[in-house]
Amino acid sequence: MIVEVGHFALVLALALALVQSVVPIWGAVRGDARAMALAGPISGGQFLFVAISFAALTWAHVVSDFSVVNVFENSHSTKPMIYKISGVWGNHEGSMLLWVAILALFGALVAWFGRNLPRTLRANVLGVQAWVAVAFYLFVLLTSNPFARFAEPPMEGRDLNPLLQDFGLAVHPPLLYLGYVGFSIAFSFAAAALIEGRIDAAWARWVRPWTLAAWVFLTLGIAMGSYWAYYELGWGGWWFWDPVENASLLPWLAGTALLHSAIVMEKRDGLKIWTILLAILAFSLSLLGTFLVRSGVLTSVHAFATDPARGVFILGILMLFVGGSLTLFAARAATLTKGGLFAPISREGSLVFNNLFLTAATATVFIGTLYPLALEAVTGGKISVGAPFFDMTFGPLMVPLLIALPVGPFLAWKRGDIAAVAQRLAVVLVLSIAATLVTWAIRGHAVLPALGVGLATWLMLGSLAEIAFRIKLFSQPAGALRRAVGLPRSAWGTMLGHFGVGVMLLGIVAESAWKIEQVLVMKPGDHVRIERFDVAFERSVPNSGPNWDEVIARFRVSDGTSNPPVIMEPSKRSYRTRSMPTTETAIETWGLFSQLYLAIGEAQGDGVAMRIYWKPLVLLIWIGTLIMSIGGVVSLTDRRLRVGAPTPRKAAAMALPAAAE
Amino acid sequence: MTRKQKRLTLIGFAGLVLAVAVGLVLFALNDRITFFTSPTDLAQGKVKPGTRLRLGGLVEDGSIKRGDGTVVRFRVTDGVNAVPVTYTGILPDLFREGQGTVAEGMIGADGEFKADTVLAKHDENYMPKEVADALKQSGHWQEEAAKATPKK
Amino acid sequence: MLIWALIAGMTAVAVSIVLVPALRRRPEASGPAEAGEMSVYRDQLAELDRDVDSGLVGAAEAEAARTEISRRLLRAGRRGPATAADGGSRFLPIAAALLLPVVAVGLYTRLGHPTMPDMPFAERKMAAPTAAPGAGQSIEDLVAKVVGHLAANPDDTKGWDLLAPTYMHLGRFELAAAAWRNAIRTGGPDERRLTELGRALTAAADDVVTPEAREAFTRAIEVAPSAVLPRFFLAAGLAQEGKKAEAVEAWRAIVAMAKGDEPWLPDAREELARAEADLTGKPYVPPVATPASPPSAAPAAPGPSAADVEAAALMSPEERAKMIATMVERLKDRLNGSGGTIDDWERLIRAEKLLGRLDDARATLDRARAALSGDAAALVRLDALTTGLKP
Repeated sequence: MIVEVGHFALVLALALALVQSVVPIWGAVRGDARAMALAGPISGGQFLFVAISFAALTWAHVVSDFSVVNVFENSHSTKPMIYKISGVWGNHEGSMLLWVAILALFGALVAWFGRNLPRTLRANVLGVQAWVAVAFYLFVLLTSNPFARFAEPPMEGRDLNPLLQDFGLAVHPPLLYLGYVGFSIAFSFAAAALIEGRIDAAWARWVRPWTLAAWVFLTLGIAMGSYWAYYELGWGGWWFWDPVENASLLPWLAGTALLHSAIVMEKRDGLKIWTILLAILAFSLSLLGTFLVRSGVLTSVHAFATDPARGVFILGILMLFVGGSLTLFAARAATLTKGGLFAPISREGSLVFNNLFLTAATATVFIGTLYPLALEAVTGGKISVGAPFFDMTFGPLMVPLLIALPVGPFLAWKRGDIAAVAQRLAVVLVLSIAATLVTWAIRGHAVLPALGVGLATWLMLGSLAEIAFRIKLFSQPAGALRRAVGLPRSAWGTMLGHFGVGVMLLGIVAESAWKIEQVLVMKPGDHVRIERFDVAFERSVPNSGPNWDEVIARFRVSDGTSNPPVIMEPSKRSYRTRSMPTTETAIETWGLFSQLYLAIGEAQGDGVAMRIYWKPLVLLIWIGTLIMSIGGVVSLTDRRLRVGAPTPRKAAAMALPAAAE
Repeated sequence: MTRKQKRLTLIGFAGLVLAVAVGLVLFALNDRITFFTSPTDLAQGKVKPGTRLRLGGLVEDGSIKRGDGTVVRFRVTDGVNAVPVTYTGILPDLFREGQGTVAEGMIGADGEFKADTVLAKHDENYMPKEVADALKQSGHWQEEAAKATPKK
Repeated sequence: MLIWALIAGMTAVAVSIVLVPALRRRPEASGPAEAGEMSVYRDQLAELDRDVDSGLVGAAEAEAARTEISRRLLRAGRRGPATAADGGSRFLPIAAALLLPVVAVGLYTRLGHPTMPDMPFAERKMAAPTAAPGAGQSIEDLVAKVVGHLAANPDDTKGWDLLAPTYMHLGRFELAAAAWRNAIRTGGPDERRLTELGRALTAAADDVVTPEAREAFTRAIEVAPSAVLPRFFLAAGLAQEGKKAEAVEAWRAIVAMAKGDEPWLPDAREELARAEADLTGKPYVPPVATPASPPSAAPAAPGPSAADVEAAALMSPEERAKMIATMVERLKDRLNGSGGTIDDWERLIRAEKLLGRLDDARATLDRARAALSGDAAALVRLDALTTGLKP
């Protein structure tokens, strides 16, 4: 009965979304306040019912109700409780229910925080949001219904794909979806602006926090997915340029561009049409990502269960929203007032530079991901586009962007003084060159890694220098602390975001240039040396978990000092229900950021085939992304962004800014 | 700068970035992609030795032979032809005889495929699309086998 | 019917969400009176003042910025606020509120199963009469206990000797092999451990005698030259490798070892006959038991009796094939009719696999799963049989 209540609640949410997609927009067109006012309560109601629905499915998973097809296919009575819960969204149907639940959550949040938005804008935004919701409710109910039942339920379930029975994968999809779906808000605002034919600086300010929140979640989601692939797949890689990974990178790149262009729009009243286009693109690419993952049109190591019928449905949704919004854009963009042009050397000029390179990079990833598909459709030829393509295209486009990155925040609005900036950054430049030379000298005279370290240093020190100069840390150290406190949070957010890029780059450079890999067969009693470590294979021992068995290989690792040796136990696990083996790696962190990584393959005699990696500074890759996300959160707490729009009361306090604090 | 000059600078710069991006993409598409082939394509001599490519098919039953250390030899078949493959390293978890696989590497002059990467499906119901296509072409595709999941 | 009451209640809530704001005398005032744009510019001015105050912006720059923001503020003020009439028609909201239950209930009755109860696993397990809770559980508990003990005392030979056959019985062959290796490591190689290690490795490889298994059997013979079981496997392994002549030699050697009254002798003779037939290219007829299943591992009952086997030895290959098929049918009928033990099901599935009837084997497996669904240990053994059956 609980299951059926959940099912009905989902249908009710669809019905409410249908009302919400028509009535408020009709009200906005007619200037009917009564109809427009409906949007808010209905958004809340939609979320209420989707939440009931999601709770019901979770309940079915928790109690292993195998009369629900979705539970039967993805769960097992012996599965640990945490994976019974994460299994709710660890499969297609459940993850789409999570998708619509997050969409409804964002809709309700817009309704709540947007109470002081202009009436018509609010009605239009929530109306467009409901269009997206209707499409996805229909998708879930008609092609991917998580509440389908068995007339004669089986006694035991088929268990969740073992690769997904992992903490990383329990949190990766919700984060990613919070990001994907968060861009729907920017999309709805863009569509609403086009419908109204009116866009101004306030619009940018309302959109920016939503975009920023979505961007933070997407950043964390991508990083989490990357770390999962690193430790769970046992290949030691952290990014494969796999189509599904690219599918999450595309909206991230577009979203990053959108974040930056929205600043120009708010501060300088420029780049309006461009920002609208980016908002449409970011969400379209999110939809594309959902389509690529869910339809299986692209060969991917990630492509878990896929189904062409669903693919066609999502393709329909994709074309409807991308096509529809771009048509709307073409028809209405001309009616929007255009902003002015800028001097090339200025803050806004640097943000245009950022947008140019980010969108060009987005385009190369887009082409690399979809070209094989297009080629096959046109000529039938089959190709695969992998890391070499992206290294050749995406890489070179990132370099000028990263070199210019620390310079941008130093430039003043309207007219920057490049000479003054050069003077301020001179010390940073000298230090970066020194870092390059030192790396070159002590790390075997390799040029590219040394330049990479130099660039990372430039990014990290450059971001710090900007803050240092703004608070006059060196010229007037006396008041620096007071100025640092008074600095807007968004400035700190910018610094952290840019600093994180440098940290991540350092990790990437160190990991790719100096990792050590050994593949070998070891028998009990064997020793092997890798970097400064002595790895000794002691023995293999069997072990059993709730729904799996494993053979653990026990290693004793000493780091060549007097430190006590560390026991590392990678294992080969076999999940009983699916009789599917997985590799459980053993990873040990040395000196904060570097890791020793052990993965075993199949047994050979009484020995095992195994991989040993030494990954210097590898953790910096994810720490860097974490810092970037923290930067986003700090920026989000900026007073200006905390509420969707400032209340008129605040304007009255204008004369006494200190009192308003 | 005048308004016109600003506009020209912007357009010129955007054009330059676009041109560089297009150039890079075109160059990389010529040089940095790998073609997908089936064992039959190889048997018909459609591929020159020394080109990098992906080979997809099923791992032939009983063909996995281990050599010294981590050297593995096996044959990839599409039901019509089979190609011997050597690989040094650790095979993926789900690499099994009779299952779909994709090997990436080069074909040697002796007709042996030297793989540096071997991929296997990640899910028991999943088969690389290229492999499925290759098998369909050679008539070794079983529809019921592709739909192992019981439906209501 | 509680479910209908809940559906009605939820529908009422949804309808009221639409209806209540629609019926309100004055619509809720929403949105600021002035255009949001102006408040943004005011806020920018305030921020600028704050920056000047804290010394972040120079006075000249601030003045220029203030002029520009003020200019925009004025322009926004001239545009005036977006106007919207208060009040409005009630028709559309009420129509929507009335249509809502029709759409929701209509769609739900097509998709849902309102009368179907929830079926949590715990309740069904208690209700299932065939389920034997505890029977399957105790073995798992035992394994967990022994594994825990061995983690603390990895050198306890007795523990490994106990754990390994348990794993073997549960069909977890790779784990059994690892356990036997540990037993050999701590207790030294003897005939039983080496032979069982070989068996575990063979079973793990889908009844193929792998090089590792061969090594284990060979060492078993070195330790105990009179051992027969390892020789059975080695001979079967030779046949698998296609070394037909050597296989025949091996079986001959085994038969020659017998004094004449050993229980395994008939099987050895049969295998020899089969190997010879294979060598000379006569039609190949598989026996019911797997080639690698030696006499000691053969099921006690109710397989083919000794007389059946003897009779089979005298028949022509065609007759023999027919007899085997009949036996499989008989077993199948019995299992489908009155059910049977896990051993029976296992034998039928193995036989069907050997005869190459993979679809039948799959179907049997599904029926066995349904019939034995309450027995966790049996399900585990059935899972072990799925190798080679997956598409």
